[in-house]
Amino acid sequence: MSNQKKRIALTFGSGFVPGLNAVIEGVVLAGHKLGWEIIGIYDGFDGLLSPENYPEGGTITLESELVHGLSGGSGCILGTSARMDPFHCRSVGNDNDVQEIDRSDELIAMLKKLQVDAIIAVANNQSMSVLWKLSKKGLHVICIPKSAENDFAATQLSFGFNSSLSFTSSLLDTAFQAARSSSKIGVVEVLGEHAGWLALQAGMAVCADSILIPEIPYDIKKVAAQIKNKKQQHRHYGLVVVAEGARSISEMEPEKRSAAADSLKASLSPLATGAESSHVIDSSGSVSTQVAKNLQRLTDTDTSLLVLSKLSLGGTPTVVDRQLGLAYGASAIRALEMEQRNVLVVFQPPELKFISMAEAINQFRTVPANSEFIRITRSLGISLGD
Amino acid sequence: MGTDTKGHVLNIQHFSTNDGPGIRTTVFLKGCSLRCKWCSNPESIQKKPELGYNAGKCIGKDECGLCMPECPETAIFTVDSENEVKINWDLCTNCGKCVSVCPSNALFEFGKWMTVEEVLQEVEQDSSFYRESGGGITISGGECMLQPEFVSELLAEAHQRGINTAIETAFNVPWSYAEKVLPHVDLVLHDHKLSDPERHKKWCGADNKLIRANQEKAYQTFPDKKFIARTPVMPGVNDDEENIRSVLSFILPYKNVVDYELLPYFRYGETKYGFLGRKYELADFDPPTNESLVKLRAIIDEAFDRKDYQNKK
Repeated sequence: MSNQKKRIALTFGSGFVPGLNAVIEGVVLAGHKLGWEIIGIYDGFDGLLSPENYPEGGTITLESELVHGLSGGSGCILGTSARMDPFHCRSVGNDNDVQEIDRSDELIAMLKKLQVDAIIAVANNQSMSVLWKLSKKGLHVICIPKSAENDFAATQLSFGFNSSLSFTSSLLDTAFQAARSSSKIGVVEVLGEHAGWLALQAGMAVCADSILIPEIPYDIKKVAAQIKNKKQQHRHYGLVVVAEGARSISEMEPEKRSAAADSLKASLSPLATGAESSHVIDSSGSVSTQVAKNLQRLTDTDTSLLVLSKLSLGGTPTVVDRQLGLAYGASAIRALEMEQRNVLVVFQPPELKFISMAEAINQFRTVPANSEFIRITRSLGISLGD
Repeated sequence: MGTDTKGHVLNIQHFSTNDGPGIRTTVFLKGCSLRCKWCSNPESIQKKPELGYNAGKCIGKDECGLCMPECPETAIFTVDSENEVKINWDLCTNCGKCVSVCPSNALFEFGKWMTVEEVLQEVEQDSSFYRESGGGITISGGECMLQPEFVSELLAEAHQRGINTAIETAFNVPWSYAEKVLPHVDLVLHDHKLSDPERHKKWCGADNKLIRANQEKAYQTFPDKKFIARTPVMPGVNDDEENIRSVLSFILPYKNVVDYELLPYFRYGETKYGFLGRKYELADFDPPTNESLVKLRAIIDEAFDRKDYQNKK
């Protein structure tokens, strides 16, 4: 264990999930207990790389008074950046030439100048790759996984998932009631590009008629049969929950996949980076649009489409996520105290552990076919479209 | 120098009818100095070769999987439930090693180096169509004038061989580049995307001060060249009368600007964004309505003192 006083920088990349403020409080309280100084960088690395946008400074010393009671609040007091990628920073050159330039060395030099010993970065699967590249250049990184879809393979439960599950279930309840009142089939798309945990668990909670997840290719005729079966029982409404990464059986055949589906499934390239290219309009919704259209045609019942997308990320974090956020934050400090380098903090109940970032890259936690959730869902009479 | 000079070519498209008069062969070059959010050729933006991936053609890890061990950066991976591979674009360095082993061309490279002679050999295959239709060669991009040596030599050689020449440019290049290319061009199709510099920066990545300065200088320096101004019409961005009138007041003093065309936005590039692992930012933008185009074109016809010309074209 190291007793040396440290200066740690904290940063958040790639979008919002509930519980980010709890991580800040966890890092600061645990760090201060060791007598360490914690500074926050605004908006990913933008606070350092684009200081002109921060007249009062792109970093802030995080004092205890500032973070006290923060864990219950929504949002993130340090902000987040759409992409946290110093390797591809969009800039305008002397010839008015727009280009993406590598500022990673500059970033590392800035952190050195600020006498930062290590950074704690809260990142999704995509930005973890960027952090790994920075670690290979000598930056001391501790990474905290962030996933509202709970799709990090290495951790059983990411903070943010429990809140998203709660918000999604609540919105599904509302959609179900609206469908009932108007005798329609509600088709609701929820987050989940690689993994269907959110759709499966939220859909199960509200006893939807059908849940379509990326792990189980669906046959739209079977989904329609489920709805028609309910109609025969004089129930003229329904609810179908669709994860944004769900795919029909026909899409699984090469050359039959739609371009839109492919583009949705592609992760973001570094060259889509920069404030000027922040994704002002998301292209989510294409999967559920297809499902809604086809169901309407096959069942002769009006469908009502709702794309929740990031709407299910807003709100006050649940107690579970407050605890998890605090725990991930405090554990990141413990990792540094134990002189760990370039690790990801993971929750493998009952413990929070540290694994190499290299081991965690490209590893997604998907719903296994023999999952208990799948078994229970089927036993409740909910169709998974297969 | 000469016909051995190499340029970074993205694609050569035969039988184009929208890139100048007659039937034309359009040579798309790689590299652009703007980042327009509506770009329909995203694969032309970067100056270096780039990996493209069409997941629809991937045979999958079970029957193939050759690319995965080939990647030195472990940027190619699979998710348990899916057979086709995925690309971690943050780790990919565009080394191209995976492209060479992919049997189905699911992995491919955008862009290749070609000499002036190689390009012209392909272009000349269409020469009989040029003669009959009044067509020729059009150099497009990206921003074609970012490769001034190659383009000037290519167009000079095309002239030598009796081929009509045109370029498509946004003029966002140093004037020295334009000065080198323009003497060899018969027709300059050039963009006026947005008049306001700040809004130009928001939507295209850089302001339009250099662009406007270059355009004025080009109109003045080359009075015998033909220029056609063009605006890619984006609903809610630049489809207002004020923007169109502002462009008109800029170009009308110059008699060598012979026309002003409106190019309605279409979602042509969407699939290609997927191939590059990028999200299409304007997925929810609809093309402009016919009514709005008719109205805007009438303003242009009035300014050029002609009746219902553009709307009948």
